[in-house]
Amino acid sequence: MTTLLEFREKVKLIYSRNEAYIQPVLKFLLAFIILNAINGQMGYMTVLDNLAVVLVAALTCSFLPVGGILFFATVFSVLHMYALSLEVALVGICIFLLMYLLYFRFSPKDSLVVVLTPLLFVFKIPYVMPVAMGLLGSPASAVSVSCGVVIYFLIAAVAGNATTISTLGSEEAAGKIRLLIDGILGNKQMVVMVAAFAITVVVVYLIRRMSVDHSWTIAMMAGAMADLVILLLGDLLYDTNISVAGAILGAVIAVAAGKIIEFFRFCVDYTRTEKVQFEDDEYYYYVKAVPKMTVTAQTKTVKKINTQRQGSGRSVTTEWTGSSRNTTSAPRSRSGYNGPYSERRSGGRSVTINSNMTGDTQDAGDDYEELF
Amino acid sequence: MLNEERIILMTKMASYEENEGKKNMSIGKYFRSDYLSIQVLKAVISATVAFAIMLALFVFYDFEVFMQDIYKMDLITFAKNVLFCYVATVAVYGGIAYGVCSYRYSKAKKSLKCYYHNLKKLNSLYNE
Repeated sequence: MTTLLEFREKVKLIYSRNEAYIQPVLKFLLAFIILNAINGQMGYMTVLDNLAVVLVAALTCSFLPVGGILFFATVFSVLHMYALSLEVALVGICIFLLMYLLYFRFSPKDSLVVVLTPLLFVFKIPYVMPVAMGLLGSPASAVSVSCGVVIYFLIAAVAGNATTISTLGSEEAAGKIRLLIDGILGNKQMVVMVAAFAITVVVVYLIRRMSVDHSWTIAMMAGAMADLVILLLGDLLYDTNISVAGAILGAVIAVAAGKIIEFFRFCVDYTRTEKVQFEDDEYYYYVKAVPKMTVTAQTKTVKKINTQRQGSGRSVTTEWTGSSRNTTSAPRSRSGYNGPYSERRSGGRSVTINSNMTGDTQDAGDDYEELF
Repeated sequence: MLNEERIILMTKMASYEENEGKKNMSIGKYFRSDYLSIQVLKAVISATVAFAIMLALFVFYDFEVFMQDIYKMDLITFAKNVLFCYVATVAVYGGIAYGVCSYRYSKAKKSLKCYYHNLKKLNSLYNE
């Protein structure tokens, strides 16, 4: 466990140090994967189904806010629909507009969820999303996840009916619209998925907020079970042809993903729980305090490099900070003089270079410090 | 001489101003009634556009049948039904928007109260 905690601290440290570079790279990768997935699913407009165009769009997304990915994904989807048929594009625009007008005006932060949900459907692990959002989000995230499910089924409906739509002539505009709307609203699998995911988000959220030990673990397991039960019930009632083995495997993966999220977000030590009770003029307080599990990440500190003008030359002291491990690769300076700015810093690598005069005079002007 | 307490407080406040505070301050500059009126008005406009989109989809879904029936149907009753659905949509969405914005306003005000308290504390630290 200590190794894992150390690893977590290292990851956090690396992320916090390089956040300015890591975030654009992650956004670029996410946009690249999503736009490629859209091209793979639809790909009717050959101009867009081009690596150079995807790369340019992904690069643009890398310095835009996360909502930029949703915008580009929407544009790509609508353009592909337009290449298939104008009517299909109109239906697509209407559905995206309805989502924006009725929900995303209130919750622009959840745009990532709407983009990730269809992507996870493509990777065959959509069950991760409701559990993750129940752990990290609020009950309102149920709407975001549901919007993501609807978008996936919209794209699936377009891809599924593409052959039929392309054979219909321009005089059959109403028929195309009807075909697509029926493909979405008449899809029982989508309705069952929306219901299952929305209920899962709420169940996970409610349980993980409870004041019981291991609430996060209980929440994710209960959520995965609820998801599974609703999907199987939906399959029995509406014959949605959901793969039972896939759903069970998905639930297991959802719990595993939930444990990873828990490790990074809510790693506490229940064995050291403290319960205290006190009062003031107005209230009695029953407080349960659960300490977080933390260790300080090991960082290599090169403490001193002493250049001696007369005598043996340079001595370097290397030490590990932040844990019980402590390695000294060279003897410490014997002079005892650390210079005016030498101090030990935790969580970073510091090098202090002193010029020690063994004679009568000390040149304080040679003392300087370099921090990395 | 550096005052550690003052620096910590200033850092916390700067972080708040950069992130959560930006949104809260934009909410906090309104009176409650003004803020809610603007937000509900926006919601009504959004709901109107959304309803128009849904109505257009409904009409185009069965356009040929609709065009055949338009001469036979009672247009006044049809218009009344559409109007009723519109009012219901706007009322429900406006109500939800009112609830959400009311909650957000009270949350922002509470948060800003804490921020102003810290501002006063910082001022007193400077006067020490």
